[in-house]
Amino acid sequence: MRIADIDRHDTDILILGTGGAGLFAALHAQQSAPEGTRITIAVKGLIGKCGCTRMVQGGYNVALGGGDTVERHFMDTIQGGKWLPDQDMAWRLCEQAVVRIRELENEVGCFFDRNPDGTLHQKAFAGQTADRTVHKGDLTGIEIINRLMEKVLASGVEKLQEHRAVGLIPTKDGSAIAGVLMIDMRSGKFRLVRAKTVLMGTGGGPTMYKYHTPSGDKTMDGLAMALRAGLRLRDMEMVQFHPTGLLAGDHTRMTGTVLEEGLRGAGGQLISHAGQRFMFDYDTKGERATRDVVSRGIYAEMRKNNNPEQEGVFISMSHLGPDNVRQKFPGMVKRCADSGFDLAAGKVEVVPTAHYFMGGMVVDVDTRTAMEGLYVAGEDAGGAHGSNRLGGNGVANSTVYGGIAGDMMGADVAGMSLRDPDEDVLMSELDRAIHPLTRKPDLVLPLRKQLQNLMWEDVGVMRTEAGMKRGLTGIAKVSDALMEVGVEASTLAFNLTWHDWLNLRSLCDISEVITKAGLARENSRGAHYREDFPDEGAMKDSEFTVAQMKDGNVHVSREPVQFTIVSPGETILPEGEPETLVAAL
Amino acid sequence: MKSDILKVTIERGADRRDVFEVPAYDNQTVLDVVSWVQQNTDPTLSYRFACRVGMCGSCAMMVNGVPRWTCRTHISKVLDGNAVTIGPLRNLPVIKDLAVDMDPFFDKWVAAEGVHHGGLTRDDPIAPVDQTSPARVEANAGIECINCSVCYAACDTVAGNPDYLGPAALQRAWSLLNDAKDEGRSAILEAVSGSDGCHNCHSMGSCTTYCPNELDPMSAIAGLKRETAKSFFKRGR
Repeated sequence: MRIADIDRHDTDILILGTGGAGLFAALHAQQSAPEGTRITIAVKGLIGKCGCTRMVQGGYNVALGGGDTVERHFMDTIQGGKWLPDQDMAWRLCEQAVVRIRELENEVGCFFDRNPDGTLHQKAFAGQTADRTVHKGDLTGIEIINRLMEKVLASGVEKLQEHRAVGLIPTKDGSAIAGVLMIDMRSGKFRLVRAKTVLMGTGGGPTMYKYHTPSGDKTMDGLAMALRAGLRLRDMEMVQFHPTGLLAGDHTRMTGTVLEEGLRGAGGQLISHAGQRFMFDYDTKGERATRDVVSRGIYAEMRKNNNPEQEGVFISMSHLGPDNVRQKFPGMVKRCADSGFDLAAGKVEVVPTAHYFMGGMVVDVDTRTAMEGLYVAGEDAGGAHGSNRLGGNGVANSTVYGGIAGDMMGADVAGMSLRDPDEDVLMSELDRAIHPLTRKPDLVLPLRKQLQNLMWEDVGVMRTEAGMKRGLTGIAKVSDALMEVGVEASTLAFNLTWHDWLNLRSLCDISEVITKAGLARENSRGAHYREDFPDEGAMKDSEFTVAQMKDGNVHVSREPVQFTIVSPGETILPEGEPETLVAAL
Repeated sequence: MKSDILKVTIERGADRRDVFEVPAYDNQTVLDVVSWVQQNTDPTLSYRFACRVGMCGSCAMMVNGVPRWTCRTHISKVLDGNAVTIGPLRNLPVIKDLAVDMDPFFDKWVAAEGVHHGGLTRDDPIAPVDQTSPARVEANAGIECINCSVCYAACDTVAGNPDYLGPAALQRAWSLLNDAKDEGRSAILEAVSGSDGCHNCHSMGSCTTYCPNELDPMSAIAGLKRETAKSFFKRGR
């Protein structure tokens, strides 16, 4: 494989990813770019089918009156994020969500559930002080993505499906993006797509953990590419665990998938291996505490137990009446039944599961990065959620910032031209991607399991310095071993095992960053819990971590949070506003 | 008695069928079986999946000749003794092994005008909707379709006429026709009443039988037939 074998293709606006961020960017770029602008959307799977926006169950946070305000949504986001969010990004998220939901309803044609008077129905997740979450039953993501996907398919943008991005290729001086090296997965051929502007909307997805929720295509490829390109990544220690992932054994892909939050909200009970409820030992809200608290409670119970036959705890709904449960949660009951479990009348074994990545690239409120022409939106961007993302803010974030990125690229593209790529970087990215094709084939899966086990044990729900240092050693071992594993190269077309290898490469690289950022944060905030530093630290002295590759090594520094809108201990809500508008249960 | 080993036949192109022995587990889906083969025995096996839980519609295949989501099909449901045969989804071009090209399916979705035709904008307030009105109920009936192509693979009319728009695209058109917000009524009726449209359907009902989401495309197509006929007579007067 030589550099001359790379197919070269030019466009004006290139979008990586077709979740909420990528699809919205495509629509907005079409609306705002000059006539004749070429827009290309590339995705590792099929348009609209891979990515995590589609998997959103809960819904979309937006303040639409009835007492709720953008200010209240903002304050919940800042407090939920334990004062670590970039406040300007959080503000923009809350403010623009109002516009985006009207766009989804009026222009994209989404169906959302209504109140009897015809207005949008909104509910409250843990951590919210108002009924704010717009939804379509418990399958909100499918509705949003299906409707966006149709719009994009009908729009005539160029499609590069099953195209995996493997490297960001800058200009020779490194100041601007020239293009993206991809593998056309169907043929196995390499393709360099040059573009004046590139949006990275590949999504995070912490699938380096034994238990994880994101779809199978998610392996942190975007952040791994950004790291190699020398870009700055923030809050990389912040991995959100959802408390209730299905536990069905390590030989099934069902394990780790989410049993929704609403089950606990409706009165679902968590039962330990000893048959006892335990969450009230950890929090006065019991099972209804926030995700991070419940995840730690379950994890602590799991550690008390030494029965390898029963690793997790149980969620039990049957006391609410099996028929009632079937009626209220038809999707969940059916999913469990298909997998062989009875959620309505029995109990189902669950475990905390890595769900969302708060960390991401450093961007400004217009989605721009330090590299000219490169924009980032959605889970690849850090800052909006700080140390903890509220349920319902994820899809709001991807759609709000995807749209903004489309607007920005549409406006900026006129003043930009195609740039020449740094051929040396191109060569090294090509070499990196073909590395396994020159080694003796072996199994990739055992190494992936090894990484997932050690990240779960040592860099998971509860962390210590000793554990994370052990983790770093383990990651390096897996990483080195992977470089000795080859992939059968007789055909590169739709060669999933080659992509398994590349997936694990990305996961190893970002696992190291997560661990180093975790070591750098010597306190416990939101999703990051240090058993050796359980204190959350003074909010006014809050710092966020920044990781960057320098001379081939990952360096982590800390920077003070700028309280540009509100300082700890203060609020922007008018005096006399009630603390919460949500009726007590 | 339950066997410890499954005998799995995988159809890989017109004249290649490979047989694999796969260990049986308690919780095991058809997708798990296919994954086991690729991850442990034959690293060259190609297939497609994404979400693992019946939300994305990427992993449908023919299982013992029947189209199914592989991620949500427990292997015990489809075993014949200890054997199962898995092939690529019918009625779509095969890319390699078990992965098909879904573009024709989506091209037809667009050709059936399966996209919202809006009049309002992001600057307009959100209009009230009566969720219990008959039109909204009808529109909502098919809205949870995840475009997995199971109905399209099940449809004998598609098999006989590759240009037929097929059940999923037509069901989407029917939802839009009943959506009070949609302003594309004449475009939709035009799109679905052509020679490759809804009148090809012989109401054999495979779409409704096999839909893993328990949706009813056949009734949606019947609705389109009625509406296009009405609009034809109106035009004739």
